[in-house]
Amino acid sequence: MSRLIPSEDELHAYVDERLETARRREVELYLAAHPEQAARVEGWRADARLLRTALAGLAEQPANPRLDPAAVRRAVRQRHRRQWASAAMLLVALGIGGLGGWQARESSLQAGLAPMADAVQAHRLFAQSGTLDLNVQRPGQLQAWLGEHFAQAGQLPDLSAYGFTPVGARLLSNEQGPAALLLFQDASGERVSLFLRSPGEHYARMPSGERVDGELQARYWSQGAYNYALVSPAAEPRAAQLRQALGIAL
Amino acid sequence: MNDLDDDQLRDMLQRLRRFALWLTREASSADDLVQATVERALSRRGQQRGDDSLRAWLFAILYRLFIDAKRRERRHARWLAWFGRDEAVGSSTEDIVLAESGLAAFARLPTEQRALLLLVSVEGLSYKEAAQALDVPIGTVMSRLSRARAAMRELAEGNTPPPALRRLK
Repeated sequence: MSRLIPSEDELHAYVDERLETARRREVELYLAAHPEQAARVEGWRADARLLRTALAGLAEQPANPRLDPAAVRRAVRQRHRRQWASAAMLLVALGIGGLGGWQARESSLQAGLAPMADAVQAHRLFAQSGTLDLNVQRPGQLQAWLGEHFAQAGQLPDLSAYGFTPVGARLLSNEQGPAALLLFQDASGERVSLFLRSPGEHYARMPSGERVDGELQARYWSQGAYNYALVSPAAEPRAAQLRQALGIAL
Repeated sequence: MNDLDDDQLRDMLQRLRRFALWLTREASSADDLVQATVERALSRRGQQRGDDSLRAWLFAILYRLFIDAKRRERRHARWLAWFGRDEAVGSSTEDIVLAESGLAAFARLPTEQRALLLLVSVEGLSYKEAAQALDVPIGTVMSRLSRARAAMRELAEGNTPPPALRRLK
């Protein structure tokens, strides 16, 4: 007899149609004899219906393409690529070459005390690289690119008198902000680069000078809003003239 | 191991969006929530076992993300209050969805009751699946369902005709 009186849970299961057929019949009989309980159950059922009707529209919103699994997967991949790219840029900015890890960072900070060490590092990494942000096709293009990224830079001089023409440029960044490596090449394929960036904590505004770093020579100076460095092979006889031409024009 | 493929996920998108809307009550955060859910589902597809319900698994991911985000938001609001910049929580996204669907009264139900009602009454999940989605024992599902339905009755009966329920800023 007690089995006839449905529990609260069973009444909910009845509304949600989760009862076995035999038990559902018993509950129906019980409710027919107990109008008060029947009214409660009917109220629940009406609310459920109301919810279903009201929310039916929500399932028919116009599709949002960015939620598609393929789009989400693409977005994740892009984010990872960007993270890798900025990690790589940071390494370049700190002047870390092939080594990795904390030790390399330590030594690079020390090396960073040498004037424009990052310029020499950038030249080593990118002077022969084919992956530039700008490949110069026509005259004036490099100047326009420079003006776009470094508003306070002056005019690039024409270096063709010394046999060098613009090749392209690569945009870099370090903790001080953007930096750039501008590449020039002569008829024999020899490359020199002009590096520029804002003065910063490790690289304060500095007196002009030059130093030899391995097989490369850096000539550096501060002018206007930026620090500059001309990086060339150490034995390059025209470098001094190039440096002078750049210093006057920029 | 039952590999979750894109089409299965796609089939669930609109339901996930509805659940997210019902929880967040705001269209753009709802879609952000769904996007995060899809992302997590894709990265953890190996953890979805074939004998478990896929929809319960997806609802569970979404619900957990929502609860975590809400907890962060509350902490954030507490900080703001601490510094004297009291910000009425939730007043900016004033139950737009519920107001539009004529269900403004039910916006007063606690989140976990609203979530359960949607899963059981609208999505038709079994009690076991609902327990899985909300990560609670089945006994809790039953007692919560009972409380939710009683509260809903009270609101429905006590608010006819519904007065202006949208809070004015």
